[in-house]
Amino acid sequence: MRIIIVGAGEVGFHIAQRLAVENKEVVVIDKSPEALRKVAETSDVQTIQGAGSSPEVLEDAGIAQADILLAVTDSDEINLIACVFANLLNPNITKLARIRAGIYTNYKHLLTGDSVGITKIINPDEEVVNSVLRLMSVPGAVEINEFAGGKIRLLGMYLPPESPVVGARLMELRSRIGNDLGLVIAALVRDDKLIIPSGMDRIQEGDVVYFACDIREQEDILRRLGVHVEPVREVMIVGGGNIGYKLAKALDNKYYHTRILENRQKRCEFLSERLDRPIVLMGDATDQEILREENVHDMDMVIAVTGDEETNILTCLLAKSLGAKRTVTRVNNFGYMPLIEPIGIDYLVCPRLSAINSLLHYIRRGRIISSVSIKGEEAEALEAIALKDSPIVGKAIKDLDFPRGSLVLCFQRGGEIIMPRGDSVIEPDDRLLIISTRQNIPKVEKVLTTKVEFF
Amino acid sequence: MRWRYVLHVIGALVACVGMTMVFALGWGLWYGDGTAGPLAMSMVISVVCGALMFAAFRDPSFRRTPMTHREGMAIVALGWFAAGVAGGLPFYLGGTFHTVVDCVFESLSGFSTTGSSVLENIEAVPRGILFWRSLTHWLGGMGIIVFSLAILPFLGVGGMQLYKAEVPGPTPDKLKPRIKDTAVTLWKVYVLFSALETLLLLFGGMDLFDSLCHTFGTMATGGFSTRNASVAAYQSAYIDYVITVFMLIAGVNFSLHYLLLKGRPAALLRDPEFRTFAVMYLAFVAVIAVAVYMDGEYRSVADSVRYTSFQVASILTTTGFATADYEIWPGIAQAILLFCMFVGGCAGSTGGGMKVMRIMLVLKHSYHELFRLIHPRSVSRVKMGRIVVQDDVLRGVWGFFVLWIGLFVLAAFIVAASGVDVVTSFAASLACIGNIGPGIGMVGPTENFAWLPATAKWTLTFCMVLGRLEIYTVIILFVPEFWRK
Repeated sequence: MRIIIVGAGEVGFHIAQRLAVENKEVVVIDKSPEALRKVAETSDVQTIQGAGSSPEVLEDAGIAQADILLAVTDSDEINLIACVFANLLNPNITKLARIRAGIYTNYKHLLTGDSVGITKIINPDEEVVNSVLRLMSVPGAVEINEFAGGKIRLLGMYLPPESPVVGARLMELRSRIGNDLGLVIAALVRDDKLIIPSGMDRIQEGDVVYFACDIREQEDILRRLGVHVEPVREVMIVGGGNIGYKLAKALDNKYYHTRILENRQKRCEFLSERLDRPIVLMGDATDQEILREENVHDMDMVIAVTGDEETNILTCLLAKSLGAKRTVTRVNNFGYMPLIEPIGIDYLVCPRLSAINSLLHYIRRGRIISSVSIKGEEAEALEAIALKDSPIVGKAIKDLDFPRGSLVLCFQRGGEIIMPRGDSVIEPDDRLLIISTRQNIPKVEKVLTTKVEFF
Repeated sequence: MRWRYVLHVIGALVACVGMTMVFALGWGLWYGDGTAGPLAMSMVISVVCGALMFAAFRDPSFRRTPMTHREGMAIVALGWFAAGVAGGLPFYLGGTFHTVVDCVFESLSGFSTTGSSVLENIEAVPRGILFWRSLTHWLGGMGIIVFSLAILPFLGVGGMQLYKAEVPGPTPDKLKPRIKDTAVTLWKVYVLFSALETLLLLFGGMDLFDSLCHTFGTMATGGFSTRNASVAAYQSAYIDYVITVFMLIAGVNFSLHYLLLKGRPAALLRDPEFRTFAVMYLAFVAVIAVAVYMDGEYRSVADSVRYTSFQVASILTTTGFATADYEIWPGIAQAILLFCMFVGGCAGSTGGGMKVMRIMLVLKHSYHELFRLIHPRSVSRVKMGRIVVQDDVLRGVWGFFVLWIGLFVLAAFIVAASGVDVVTSFAASLACIGNIGPGIGMVGPTENFAWLPATAKWTLTFCMVLGRLEIYTVIILFVPEFWRK
């Protein structure tokens, strides 16, 4: 499979790396020779120097034989033009574009229509907003992912020591919390290591437990696990940029008490004209005075989403030290990610990581329809359809020759969500939710793909 | 400032007012009540004087240069007074009143759609004159719609620039084409509702004469009736409710009615001013109906609701018709009605008062200031619905608010100084500056203004025009800067 990536920035770089590891034929196009050298040094990819918007360069990259084009430069316009030419040169190619500006994303239907034919528009800002909203819906969760159009949730959270399942083996789970609720433990993170557990593993105190469940049963399950969920109502958003504005707009209702802090006068005016209930404040996020004045210690969540990640991190630390319950920080630089949790910030969101996740949905081989990285990048949850002629159809879950470290979490049959047991049998067209460590992804993909499909 | 131009236009206006007397003349001839002579005389005098002014100050250069803000205001303010004087002629020549002040008071009470009367026995006045008296309401109502929706937003007076974009018709920067197109559009709406009300009143058993006169009083939110007992004389729940509904219609922004008739009823329901107006009306009716019923004023709930809904609509929209003497109602009912006198109808309606929009903005802005004390670093804007209210609008509204209250108090002082008791002084000047009609005390719904001294009458006459033309337009004539070249 040949994949052309236009733009060797942070997103392009990481996707190239990930795909190269999975033995795909990757061509990276960028104007900057340094960026290309950096990609070439770390991954086994072909690089072409030139403008991604030029049809000549695209032809050089072998667009006619390519399967997927990823347009992920920082410029929306270049991404759009690259997709337009790709569509003209090879109409069958899958075109994914990263587009952020509202002036384009508001016209999604035009861009994904016949004339431009973009397969999917990835808007990292929007996805960051959605992931913050998800975090707010289950405060206390370390990570929340959604599958099957939001019907299935994969939650990662610390369980309190008094929880009935702490200390139990996974095989005893149903006897501890009742047999009627569908719940599958997907992974445990212990001492910073991710474990895909088997029935014999025990849940220990201090583990982050990842589990999949039906969203309608989420509340019951949390209660039985002994988790108290305090709803988030008092919110402070730091940074009134694109993400901050969209977030405030989403929280512009009677339920939330939102404040949004921004330091540019003009932008404050823009925000106050467009937002109804949220309180727009002008000032610097690192100014203790304003945080105190606005009672930051009463905040259920402080969300720092300015464009400057150092400010975000410092603001979150400051808010935390002043007594804010939970903090979310936006980070762009992947290098900072391992730092966030140890220094005491509860969550991080990253537009680039969101973009990478969304792009990976479309690149997976076979009929894998979506995938999400969990715990940074150590494991991935994949959503896949069991094709009629796939070797897995008709087999019981326990008989699948999945590698160790991969697990079927649940499947969706028609509109129903089924939490499987070892003897559940897979039927054609079931949507499976699978979790797997990164090394095992190619093996899982091989098991899922039909035998006759060759690339 | 081109004086000749102002007088030229006012001449045309006076001639037009004179020509409309032909309708009253028609009724005078039909009834043969001896009013045909005086009406014809008044008509001739007005038309001739107007035409002479129009011709004498004519200048071909007027066509080339557009009207300026100052000229616009001078024409409106002086025009209203001129129309009042011309409109007072039939009363004088017909012998209804013997003093000039009474004639001008009654006429301007009509043109300003106030409805305060110096007539002691209405039913004794011949039909032709009565018809003219009611017609002045309807003409004043026509004037006021155009004034408040075409001229004021353009001049940016009293916060009315808020409505600049919402008025039907084109939005060019020139004042004149805008007035013309907007006027024609809105008058169609006005005439349509008037025709509808007349038909409904006819259906309720009123004769054509009374139907027309009451329609004029309702649609202009005036309040002149043809009976001494006002609408109460008909003793019909049907008539009460028809008039209640049309008073409320007349108290709502006419550009919303225009959109409604254009098939966009959602605009009406989304409009924040209309919503406030509707909620306020329903809440007041509920409270007063309960108070009146508990007090044993009326035996049945239906009667309490009927009289309350009529009276609240009448006072809130500043019409001033009466079906009940609210002065014998319990204290809370009177207090609420007194508050209604200050509020008035919606901006862009024929109603008077300070207007719901201004009260809303004043309250919103006050809350906004409190909010800023709590959150000193917040950046926020006052909003009407989803629209951000600009600072110049707020300044205009506050200026209006202060001037309105100030002039109302000043007028009350003058009336009191002429020898009237204090409650009546305040009530009379409130009833006139708010274009309501009846007040409380000695000028309540069962009394009239006839007994007041001449000084008080002149003051109140001036107040009526002042209130009707949204203070600024009249008061600006008294600012020396206005007259500088």
